[in-house]
Amino acid sequence: MDLRQSRTLRNRLNVLQAFAWLMILGLAVVYGWLQLVRSRELQRLAQQQAIKVRTTPAPRGIIFDRNGYRLVDNRRALHLVIQKEDLATALPQAEALAAALEVEPDLLRRRISLSRGAGGNKALRLLDNLDEAGLAQAERLRARFPFLSIEVAPSRVYQGDELAGHVIGYVGEVTPEVYARSNGRFQLNEIVGRSGFELSRNEQLKGEDGQRRILVDHLGREVALFGLHEAKPGRSVYLTLDAGLQKVLMDSFGEEQGAGVVIDLRDGGILAMVSSPGYDPNIFLHRLEQETVDLYFRNPSRPLLNRATQGLYPPGSTYKLLVALCALEKGIITPETVFHCAGRKTYYGREFRCDGVHGSIGLVQAIAHSCDIYFYELGMRLDVDDIYATAAKYGLAAPTGVDLPHELGSRIPNREWKRRNAKRKVDEKWYAGETISVAIGQGQNGLTPLALARFYAALATKGKLLTPHLLYGVRSDETSKMEVAPAPPPKETGLDPRFWASLAEGMVGVVRYGTAKDSYDPRLGMAGKTGTSQVTTFVDKQHYAKLAKKFKDNALFAGYAPYDNPQIAFAVVVENAGFGAKTAAPLARKLCQYWLVDRLKQPLPPPGGKLPDAFEKKPEEEESTAAETDAR
Amino acid sequence: MRLSLRPLDPFLGILILALLGLGTLTLYSAGRGTVHANLWIRQSVFNLAGLAAMTVLANWDHRRVLRRSLPVYLASLAALVLVLILGKVVSGSKSWLSLGGVSLQPSELAKWVTLLFVAHRLGTRPPEEVGNLELLGGAGLVLFPMLLVLKQPDLGVALTFTPILLLIPLVRGLRLRWVLLGLAASAALATAAWNYRLKPYQKERILTFLDPTRDLQGKGYQVHQSRIAIGAGGLLGEGFTAGSQTQLNFLPVKTTDFVFSVWAEERGFLGVALVLALFGAFLSRLLSIAKEARDAPAAYFCAGAAGIFGLHVLINAGMVAGAVPTTGIPLPFFTYGGSSTLSFFLALGVVMNVHHQGKTR
Repeated sequence: MDLRQSRTLRNRLNVLQAFAWLMILGLAVVYGWLQLVRSRELQRLAQQQAIKVRTTPAPRGIIFDRNGYRLVDNRRALHLVIQKEDLATALPQAEALAAALEVEPDLLRRRISLSRGAGGNKALRLLDNLDEAGLAQAERLRARFPFLSIEVAPSRVYQGDELAGHVIGYVGEVTPEVYARSNGRFQLNEIVGRSGFELSRNEQLKGEDGQRRILVDHLGREVALFGLHEAKPGRSVYLTLDAGLQKVLMDSFGEEQGAGVVIDLRDGGILAMVSSPGYDPNIFLHRLEQETVDLYFRNPSRPLLNRATQGLYPPGSTYKLLVALCALEKGIITPETVFHCAGRKTYYGREFRCDGVHGSIGLVQAIAHSCDIYFYELGMRLDVDDIYATAAKYGLAAPTGVDLPHELGSRIPNREWKRRNAKRKVDEKWYAGETISVAIGQGQNGLTPLALARFYAALATKGKLLTPHLLYGVRSDETSKMEVAPAPPPKETGLDPRFWASLAEGMVGVVRYGTAKDSYDPRLGMAGKTGTSQVTTFVDKQHYAKLAKKFKDNALFAGYAPYDNPQIAFAVVVENAGFGAKTAAPLARKLCQYWLVDRLKQPLPPPGGKLPDAFEKKPEEEESTAAETDAR
Repeated sequence: MRLSLRPLDPFLGILILALLGLGTLTLYSAGRGTVHANLWIRQSVFNLAGLAAMTVLANWDHRRVLRRSLPVYLASLAALVLVLILGKVVSGSKSWLSLGGVSLQPSELAKWVTLLFVAHRLGTRPPEEVGNLELLGGAGLVLFPMLLVLKQPDLGVALTFTPILLLIPLVRGLRLRWVLLGLAASAALATAAWNYRLKPYQKERILTFLDPTRDLQGKGYQVHQSRIAIGAGGLLGEGFTAGSQTQLNFLPVKTTDFVFSVWAEERGFLGVALVLALFGAFLSRLLSIAKEARDAPAAYFCAGAAGIFGLHVLINAGMVAGAVPTTGIPLPFFTYGGSSTLSFFLALGVVMNVHHQGKTR
């Protein structure tokens, strides 16, 4: 057969040929549609997935103590995150991701959708501070969920562990709750100070985030860098704290609860501030486990509470100095006025007792021996509103203004306060008998240890009202040297030098031969006042002995040293420790011993240095034996 | 026997070399910076081997080849059965046979052998004398290996057997009622297949094709990224080895199924038009050779070859553009692969001899 004669077959093959070209044309139309008509839109999609803007978190400022020890440092850390632009992809897979991360699916979904809706460009962190195992887990997750990425961001390292947890505070990410309340001050998921100095000085410490425009591959790995806007690190700051003194004060609390504050009398800088039990801010760098939450948030001893600024303690006899000052300034007594103490006396039909039988007693001796009768007599003659006015004048009524968040103002009762706080109509009236309790620092009085220390600082400086503060200086970016931040100027209270002399004589007497004579050390020149404040009422000594620890008296000691050239003022409260002279005064002695004697024997640390190993764990043997001897 | 270059058709040869050249360039760019960086070299070796095989076959008289197609057909059926028993599973399909370190995909060659045998069966007598029963038998010869391939299951390769059925209207002509009957039969077959034969992943592919956003992380992701790559190419393309979708690996399986998207992204619509035109000319030339053939089986074979090549181009280029459901079948001269390359060239060798015989007579 000769095919070239078969016209039918040739015709059919011609049709096929036409079909072939038609098919080619059809394909050309499809490609033309994509490449000519929809080109711009698809080009944008290509760019969107390949060009990303990533935030480079700025390192927060480093925090040094006054001598240049690093209290807070930064380190490079890896975090598993969802970048802002990937949140939309992540949302439909929230369920599977939650299962892989072992978290509540609803919680994760809520976090993702809230982060999506919020402003800013912060990545959502899922796992923080990845260690080697964490990184391996993160990489496995990334293989399953390509929208996850690993972010390099500086993370805090709190060098001193528990050393100054309450003062320094900690950082955390801005949660949806915080974000909602911040009025645009924060970005969602931003790392900000959540407590302590980290919170109060967040603006200085936080720095400015940078931005990188990068080219990424299909796994989100950076391939090339287009544009860089460097992150501006936060300011490094120096605290007024002295790490050595802080350590001594912290250690001397041991297992006891309470608080202590030491103020530098030159400028009001806080040299040490301890709240016991302490906490290690490092634990807040990781997502909290239930165990930790229970330990810190449900603990009845409330370790997160900064007792120095948030604990309100009845001041007990430490308040007598203020009452005396009030009486002197009101002209009710002179330094020479004498009252008679018979160990007990009846006021308004109720019998009040004194710890001793002091006989005829003047102001100086009344302070030195803490004679209650003397001050009951003052309470008889004083009006509660006058005591309040004096307290206000010497800075006890309002918060001290320290640069720490959530400071409580002290509670100083007066008529108006009682009216405002009364639950029943009959409770609104102030009874003169109540003034008698107030006069010895019991009753409704509640002072923060910081306010108490500041009051004794005013006594030490003959009436200068300092503002306690923690910011000592800022490190200059150019010279890396410290530029001292000007301290808030002191306020003159106009304390009469004659009155001051008597009060000071009384406070020196307290230590030399009075209630705190067991803690006397001629080298230290400590002056102050003991205090014992009732936590509950008890019937007699046998009853008291049987009381549970938490109902026992709080022990206080407030004062300054050395009396002839005062350098520091301090207040120490030891909760439920009984008599003030027995536990609080030795503690005060220890810190004076360090500050005035031991410290001067040690060489100054190199600037910018790490805390010496001695701060990690210090053999305590010798010191604790000394403390026991003191107490006896 | 003497080997000579004379039987080769210069026009078809130039088209083949042009497509091979562009394909190799694309493969080079697609593999760049990945584990597939040297793939273009391996493919070039396959191509050279293919060209050699094509030349050898072009020197053989195709009538002798056609006459001996029965044992070859039976052997390929045996291979298809063997692969179902001994084959190794690659991406879900049991389609590879390992022979002493060399892996082969018998299904790639089987379709050409089937074409050869069916062309021989239908073409030995004048068209008027071919009965309906014989035509039906021819269809059966196609369906049998096709079912074996479906069993693997490799829907894509099975699909490339269907152009052989083109021979039926070529022999008998096209009647409207046949077309309607065929459509009805396909619809019934498709429904039956959907309900009883298709695997869930195959159904998923079809559903994803109908709605590409249905599964953006899985199958839809590939086509989605491929369409972005094609569109991003625009008119002129992003430049050789400079396609962002390609080089940043957003484009999946870019050395095999999606290799044409690489070309489209980097060379733009102009490049695509060039390749499509080359393929058009190539298919057209195959059909022209069919017209010039000195005997019917040769003409049928060339027409069937045009059909098979055409379907490869249509499905692959259509699939990467999202116009056809995702099916993994290679684009001739572009996609990396030894078995398919070798099969293409063997078929082209037969075509070349048809051309030679038709020319010299």
